Amino acid sequence: MMSTVPSELPVTAPIEHRFDPYVDNGGTLLSIAGKDFCVVAADTRLSEGYSIHTRYVPKSVKLSDKTVISMGGCYADCLTLTKRIQQNMEASLVAPMWYRHAHGKTMSTAAIAQMLSIMLYQKRFFPFYSWCILGGLDEEGRGAVYTYDPVGSYEREACRCAGSASSLIQPFLDNQINFKNQASERRELSLDQVLRITKDSFTSATERDIYTGDYLEIFVITSNGVELQKMGLKKD
Amino acid sequence: MFLTRSEYDRGVNTFSPEGRLFQVEYAIEAIKLGSTAVGIKTPKGLILAVEKRVTSPLLESSSIEKIFEIDAHIGCAMSGLTADSRTIVDHARIEAQNHTFTYNEPIKVESVTQAVCDLALRFGESARGEESIMSRPFGVSLLIAGIDETGPQLYHTDPSGTFVSYSAKAIGSGSEGAETELQEEYHSSMTLLEAETLALKVLKQVMEEKLNATNVQLASVTREEGFKIFTPEELQTVVDRL
Amino acid sequence: MTSRLPSQAKGGFNFDNHVRNAAMEGKGAALPKATKTGTTIVGLIYKDGVVLGADTRATAGPIVADKNCEKIHYLAPNMYCCGAGTAADTEMTTSLISSQLELHRLATGRQARIVTAMTLLKQMLFKYQGHIGAALILGGVDISGPQLYTIYPHGSTDKLPYVTMGSGSLNAMSVFESRWTPNMDRESAIELVKDAIEAGIFNDLGSGSNVDVVVLTKDKVDVLRNYARPNERGVKEASYVFRRGTTQVLKTSIRDMVDIKETVESIATSTAMEVDAV
Repeated sequence: MMSTVPSELPVTAPIEHRFDPYVDNGGTLLSIAGKDFCVVAADTRLSEGYSIHTRYVPKSVKLSDKTVISMGGCYADCLTLTKRIQQNMEASLVAPMWYRHAHGKTMSTAAIAQMLSIMLYQKRFFPFYSWCILGGLDEEGRGAVYTYDPVGSYEREACRCAGSASSLIQPFLDNQINFKNQASERRELSLDQVLRITKDSFTSATERDIYTGDYLEIFVITSNGVELQKMGLKKD
Repeated sequence: MFLTRSEYDRGVNTFSPEGRLFQVEYAIEAIKLGSTAVGIKTPKGLILAVEKRVTSPLLESSSIEKIFEIDAHIGCAMSGLTADSRTIVDHARIEAQNHTFTYNEPIKVESVTQAVCDLALRFGESARGEESIMSRPFGVSLLIAGIDETGPQLYHTDPSGTFVSYSAKAIGSGSEGAETELQEEYHSSMTLLEAETLALKVLKQVMEEKLNATNVQLASVTREEGFKIFTPEELQTVVDRL
Repeated sequence: MTSRLPSQAKGGFNFDNHVRNAAMEGKGAALPKATKTGTTIVGLIYKDGVVLGADTRATAGPIVADKNCEKIHYLAPNMYCCGAGTAADTEMTTSLISSQLELHRLATGRQARIVTAMTLLKQMLFKYQGHIGAALILGGVDISGPQLYTIYPHGSTDKLPYVTMGSGSLNAMSVFESRWTPNMDRESAIELVKDAIEAGIFNDLGSGSNVDVVVLTKDKVDVLRNYARPNERGVKEASYVFRRGTTQVLKTSIRDMVDIKETVESIATSTAMEVDAV
């Protein structure tokens, strides 16, 4: 005998569970390469939605006397990624060896750049939500800026801005650093000029981007090492 | 002599009461049966030379390979069990490629050497009970020659995983005689050309057969050209210089 | 005879584009984003009247759309209304009710009461079921004394001695809850309102820039526009004056002015009617 299924059985919708591990903590970072220097700057505001979690948390970390990394996006991911880079510079998780211990030297900016790309791509299907900019000096002592997308595509450039105010600052840098839309105006910029442009970028971005503000940290990388400058930004 | 070793030379990782690992020592002995290989370091670059034992007139001497490229800037010469050297060279090549992939820079010669030696003692049973990769030590010794940011480097590795840096070194059956000769003739300001000649001269003295362009192999590592195995023509000109 | 001309709009909303927009949205087109005043607005009753306060930031997503906008709207000579939410909705709603209040005053010959304004506002907002995104603080003084109301987008209202609204309402309320007392004097009432707004300005990303204050008493209204300016822009480090000729000339094309000449010719007398072929 066939059994019949009562048509009035209550239909329950399947319960969905969403795994949403990413948050955008805002913030802006930029890096500009000069002839024999590199500037890496980032604001220090950490926010979520309309709230400020903290007004001062550094987004940039000195990796060596020649290299500084700056990251924006999901702060938890940025912290972990920074930690892993530092760990790999001593003891690598990527290759089964320790860079400093195995090779008896500090990693060059180009070597860190390549390694970071691989570390990001290793998490291709569960990426680090982080916008990375690596700034420093190359083996010839020239300023170098490497920029990344969250899954490891990277490129060496003259300057780059990333994070919440990137769409506001990048066109300004294109015009002021790369002299776009300025006829016959190409010239080498001094460190002082670059620092002024950097500060103006951030004070202006603070005016119009709600996620940028509080304080600005500027790392200046020269052959003498890494120097850190700090200044206040608006807090509203 | 052999009486004292009995009972303690069976397990590959059993120490004798005197604190010796006989299987490793036997492996080192195996090298002394191998063909002679010579390496010379000069300020401008390095020379590797090996003897090829052409045991039959029917043998194609070009099929005997005893010098290998590891990376564009590193090469090595071997003596001992040729098959074992393949495993080691494969490992060294992977290590070098992995380094360039990860760091976008050439690997240091010392790092490659270290990587190769890390492999040397991974025989016998492993402590955690997983499959170990080898049942016995490698029966091969290498002369690893390369140039990196610290300059020309020549390393010698043996089956115990020990590696030492040399200015000039010979391994294999004729190594004793060859090294005596090297010690007399070597000086630190040698030109590459002088090193080429010396390497073949040393081989010529210790080889049973008469040295010619078919029973030796010669390679160089220079800053300009990196690692390069000499073509038969290039080899002939060096032979002609002797 | 019926006119072919489109009829004159009689007021209210026009839904002509609703079907088209819904179809476009269905095909994936993004609808334009309205400017929001992700705001801090406050109001409190003190000894002699009401103090209203607001910040001056208007946002469009993460971008500051207006750094010094006005969020305290005039309703009637004796009442003002702070607005939070969709900028257009707060502006149109308050000005519409302002007109109705003026007509009401003319019709009745009396000063409008705050409760009247509140009723008009809530009835309008309820009618639109929350689609008019206006969150309001209504304050004023009438024959029954100082009055303060909040009106939510769906039309509900509250009558309280101190209120806050907008995205910075919690920040502002924390200041009120710790410092508000009944029968405050004018000076400390204004100071408390200023501090409450500044709590929003500094701790809520939707609020920013300056503090606007309006003080309403029985016989005087003080509009204190930009009562506090705690966020002055700093001086720029570099000069961004472009040299003459910086913009490249890619192509030059010079044309003479076009002369339009009009001539009058006498029509030749002909027997038949002619149709001009030109």
